[in-house]
Amino acid sequence: MLDIKGLSKSFGGIRAVSNCTIALKDNSITGLIGPNGSGKTTLFNLITGLIPPDQGEIYFRGERIDGHLPHEVAGHGIIRTFQLTRLFPKMTLLENLLLASPHQTGEGLWPLWIKRRRIKEEEKENVEKALELIETVGLSHLKGQFAENLSYGQQKLLELARAFMADPKMILLDEPTAGINPSMIRKIIELILKMRDSGKVFFIIEHNMDVVIELCDWVFVLDNGEKIAEGKSKEIQNDSRVIEAYLGV
Amino acid sequence: MDLFLHLCIMIAIYIIFALSLNLEVGYTGLFNFGHVAFFGIGAYTSALLTLHQVPFEISLLCALAFAGVWGFFLSIPSLRLRGDYFGIATLGFGEIIRMIFQNEVWLTKGPMGLPGIPKPILFSIRFATLPHYLLLVSGFASVTFVILRVILRSPFGRVLRAIREDEVATGALGKNVFRFRVKSFVIGSTFAGLAGTLWAHYITFISPGDFTLLETILVLLIVVMGGKGTEWGPIFGGIVLIFFQESLRFLRLPAEWTRYLAPLQQMIFGGLLVLLMIYRPEGLIRDKGKVGHAGHQRTQ
Amino acid sequence: MDFLLQSVLNGILAGCIYALFAMGLTLIYGVLNFVNFAHGELIMWGAYFLYLFMEKPFGLPIPLALPPALFLTILLGMGTDQFVFKPLRTANRLTLLIAALGLSFFLRNGAQFFWGAEIRTYGFEIKRGMRFLGVSITLNQIAIILTSILCILFLYLLFHRSRMGKSMRAVSDNLELARVVGIDTKRTIRIAWIIAALLAGVGGILLALDTNLQPGMGLINLVKAFAATLLGGVGNLWGAFWGGILIGLAENLGVLIISPGYKDAIAFGIMVLMLLIRPAVLFGSEESS
Repeated sequence: MLDIKGLSKSFGGIRAVSNCTIALKDNSITGLIGPNGSGKTTLFNLITGLIPPDQGEIYFRGERIDGHLPHEVAGHGIIRTFQLTRLFPKMTLLENLLLASPHQTGEGLWPLWIKRRRIKEEEKENVEKALELIETVGLSHLKGQFAENLSYGQQKLLELARAFMADPKMILLDEPTAGINPSMIRKIIELILKMRDSGKVFFIIEHNMDVVIELCDWVFVLDNGEKIAEGKSKEIQNDSRVIEAYLGV
Repeated sequence: MDLFLHLCIMIAIYIIFALSLNLEVGYTGLFNFGHVAFFGIGAYTSALLTLHQVPFEISLLCALAFAGVWGFFLSIPSLRLRGDYFGIATLGFGEIIRMIFQNEVWLTKGPMGLPGIPKPILFSIRFATLPHYLLLVSGFASVTFVILRVILRSPFGRVLRAIREDEVATGALGKNVFRFRVKSFVIGSTFAGLAGTLWAHYITFISPGDFTLLETILVLLIVVMGGKGTEWGPIFGGIVLIFFQESLRFLRLPAEWTRYLAPLQQMIFGGLLVLLMIYRPEGLIRDKGKVGHAGHQRTQ
Repeated sequence: MDFLLQSVLNGILAGCIYALFAMGLTLIYGVLNFVNFAHGELIMWGAYFLYLFMEKPFGLPIPLALPPALFLTILLGMGTDQFVFKPLRTANRLTLLIAALGLSFFLRNGAQFFWGAEIRTYGFEIKRGMRFLGVSITLNQIAIILTSILCILFLYLLFHRSRMGKSMRAVSDNLELARVVGIDTKRTIRIAWIIAALLAGVGGILLALDTNLQPGMGLINLVKAFAATLLGGVGNLWGAFWGGILIGLAENLGVLIISPGYKDAIAFGIMVLMLLIRPAVLFGSEESS
């Protein structure tokens, strides 16, 4: 599904990502781990078009997407969440999700006047879907609130729900369980598994090895921008190179 | 009575002007500090055309189109920019347009201005008297309000607000942020042109000196005072500020006083803007209904 | 050819003044991370303060009028920070810029309140310039160039040879970090305003010496200062200097081709060009990756 070949990116003199080659399969949950500063979020930024790569190619379902703009990448079906949640603070939970729905007729200017009925129908469908998702993450009682009033954990859940609302083919999650209490982590894991079962591919940056082991079929390890190991999550844990990287030895 | 009608007409015109800026600044989060440029473009276009015997229906449409087109041309290079830079670019553009009005004497008669702008004749009705004109502008103001309301309450409007809140997240969800911004800017510019046209035909004499930073400050003040990003904010702000601005005119003070009063009044506007931003940036009207803090706190 | 040379000289002259404007603007941008929309008014008030002390009831000659004028300009600069910008340090960008715009409007009309909208000058007779290598240059203009050079030298020494300079560079790089390592950020910010106001004041006075005074002179010079900072790279002090010189040259050489009524628009045109071709000012480029 996702094929990254020889990707590199430097900032000033620092190589953030160095000659990375990674492949994700269909119907999988893949993990991306590594010590802080190893280039994981940069890799996500490269994939989603937030920053252009210096070298290398990225293919998604056979199409080349490196160098595309963020909204174009999203248009291909790749949606991401952010390490520090990026919700729309002065919009309600419901609105946050409604926005994520793709291909809305009501987002064009001309249809506003001539396709009113279609827009109304779409909106109705979207509201239903959004309310369902809000229910799934357990935030129904807050649906009219501004997103900025949510707690940190609730915001992460909402961002997850929003990503699902966008009906993506692949979801990039950047530390989805960071700073979350265990009961919510369980909720998030269940949600991801459910989504995977409905055919979505996940690429997850995580520091919590328990979550990685439980969720991920395959794991890539980055250190200093380079891929130093890959394999099944249980095996990766015991890989000497990985241990070295984390201990900074 | 005449004073009252005049006040209402001016309020209606400025409400259109403010609604258009509110779309850009309040809803889309664009730092447009040169809005007066489009006001002026609308005014000069319609004035020049009607002075050359073009019917008002056509001159109005041309004014709107021209304002929108210029909005398009300004926005294409500048809307990719960070806020500060876009702000200065629009500020500069406002000045440039004024320079064009001033220098292209063959077209605009330069500093001498355009006198004798004819009253509009729409659908064979000549809107010459004050009550007629009030009807005209109220009609246009209502239409503007309705159109913008439809736009703002639609999914399109939702994207605009999302862009204002976080354009990176909006882009990451598949929306072409740039395109939405341009559309917002063009709509805003077009309605500013409408306001300018109605104004020109009301006061019947325009000159480059009418389209300065003062107008931008005034309309900005109207928008933020009433509460930017709210539907009724510009209307509230328009009523309050235009009342204040025009009322001084009618106190019939000795001419020597105007020398001091005009800048003093404008100092008050500037000072008000500063005070509002420091103490009440969300405006004097609170955003309806949503439970939550007015401030920037995050609950942990 | 002489004409061309004269234009080049005039360009360098104007450029020195613009360099002062741009350096002040970019200094504040560097330390406080915002474009001070009221910088043009500091320039304008600097010029008017000198006028104030030169006219009745003070009637001082320039050397005596200069210190109080500059002192007041500095006070004004610090005042704007204390009363407007400091309360808004953590506000969102739009709020800050609207406030700055409102402030500039307030100051501009303040000047008009006191001195009216008429164009004024410092009252020096137009002297004939001395001919030198085929170009004409007046005493005033020599003073302008010398003063500019002095200011720039002083800035160089301050920034690269003093501890305060190092602090300022640290603050402009990363305010939080600077605070954490013990740099007195409040003092740094204060010094930045003092210098920026000084540069604005001196620049304004020189400009008024070369041309004239009017309350509206702030806005267009803000645009020019900004264009110069863009040319040189925002936040880059020496870039601002060269940017200023370039704008001055472009203006004076440009009017050889286009109508003089649009002289002030040349800087704007350059700015638009820079904005079109320089990706560094794009949205999203500040994204920490």
